[in-house]
Amino acid sequence: MDQDTATWIDGCIGCSGILWPFFLLLVTYFIGNYIERRHLQDILAREAKHRSFPVVTFETVPEGWNVTDVGLVQGSVVISVDYFKRFLAALRGIIGGRIKSYEPLLDRARREATLRMIEDARARGYNGVLNARLETSRLATGRANNKGIAGVELLAFGTGVKLG
Amino acid sequence: MDFVPKAPREGINVSKTHPLKEAATLILGICGVLVLLFVVLAVSIDVAVRFIPPDMESKVFSSVDLDDVFEAVADERTEKVQDLVDRLARHWEDAPYTFRAVVIGSDDPNAAALPGGTILVTAALLDDVETENELAFVLGHELGHFKNRDHLRRLGRETVYALAFAAVSGVGGGSIPDLATISKELTSRGFDRGQERAADHFGLEIVYKEYGHVGSAWDFFERLATQALVAKVLVAYLSTHPASDRRIDDLKDFALKQGWALEGPAEEL
Repeated sequence: MDQDTATWIDGCIGCSGILWPFFLLLVTYFIGNYIERRHLQDILAREAKHRSFPVVTFETVPEGWNVTDVGLVQGSVVISVDYFKRFLAALRGIIGGRIKSYEPLLDRARREATLRMIEDARARGYNGVLNARLETSRLATGRANNKGIAGVELLAFGTGVKLG
Repeated sequence: MDFVPKAPREGINVSKTHPLKEAATLILGICGVLVLLFVVLAVSIDVAVRFIPPDMESKVFSSVDLDDVFEAVADERTEKVQDLVDRLARHWEDAPYTFRAVVIGSDDPNAAALPGGTILVTAALLDDVETENELAFVLGHELGHFKNRDHLRRLGRETVYALAFAAVSGVGGGSIPDLATISKELTSRGFDRGQERAADHFGLEIVYKEYGHVGSAWDFFERLATQALVAKVLVAYLSTHPASDRRIDDLKDFALKQGWALEGPAEEL
């Protein structure tokens, strides 16, 4: 191997050290983007399928309804953050502003949890869900003194009602 | 009341900015602000060092053990160099420094001005100079850097760079180097052309005042330049000082303009 080739290879190794994080960011962006889009398509299809199923936030049963059965229905989903989104959020952490990279993530989580709740209610023979609620909680990892985020859990729950 | 199924509005909770565009904006924006911050810091330090009195500078740097960092050697020529520095410094009226010559055992011929009034001279430089006049000009040039506070301005700037580097690599546990380490780093870098020119002119003036002529003052550079040309290597002195023909031409022009004799007897070392 001559001197020029050795210098060239050295240069490449040196460059890759600097470019590696950027490469990783791009790769995770494309993978994350693909997963997100596929999930959203799935959500849209299922939402269309369950559109006729009423989910409302009333706390009490409206007058005149003949309720024959009630029960707790719930759906939950845990979604993780990819490297790219976390990187954008970290930069936002320096200067402030909306963490736009997390918005589609939480949007999908909310809708997926609601869909799972609806699917639970339908499977159990209810005609609708009253007093529907959404809760979010952070899942910590063992890394960074339990301050690292493994992902978020979104829980949708409500009262399934069967009408007579 | 009848239940009418409705599709939810799409995209109310999601911003429309493309993630890659947001990434680019954030990265460029934050880097830009950081660069601006450090430029402002560097410039303000540059201005601030002009207001540091030389005696305060000497006091601060008397506590930094530079001899240890630079591996000073006990050279029998140290006394002669010190003597020459003292003689030359007499031509700088009210010089606010007490100059101290230190010989270091490097194989590369070089000289450097350090904060606090220390002039570093390598043993190789003492081997290479042939007359006292040559050495006097090299030392006078370094005195010129003290006169213009170049060494302190560079130290301030280097400190900012070190700070910037520590801040950027801080995620990986970067630490801020101490004054001694920075000072050592300094001698491997040159000043800008304007600073070198001013130091050259001051050094030549001192040589003229000492000997009454500027003959053989730049002989050392002429030899170095030829040596570098023949051997095709970068001589150490040239890596931190300009040594082009232009520099020698500039010195000649300056001497002619001042009406100084270009020829004269050279003193033995």
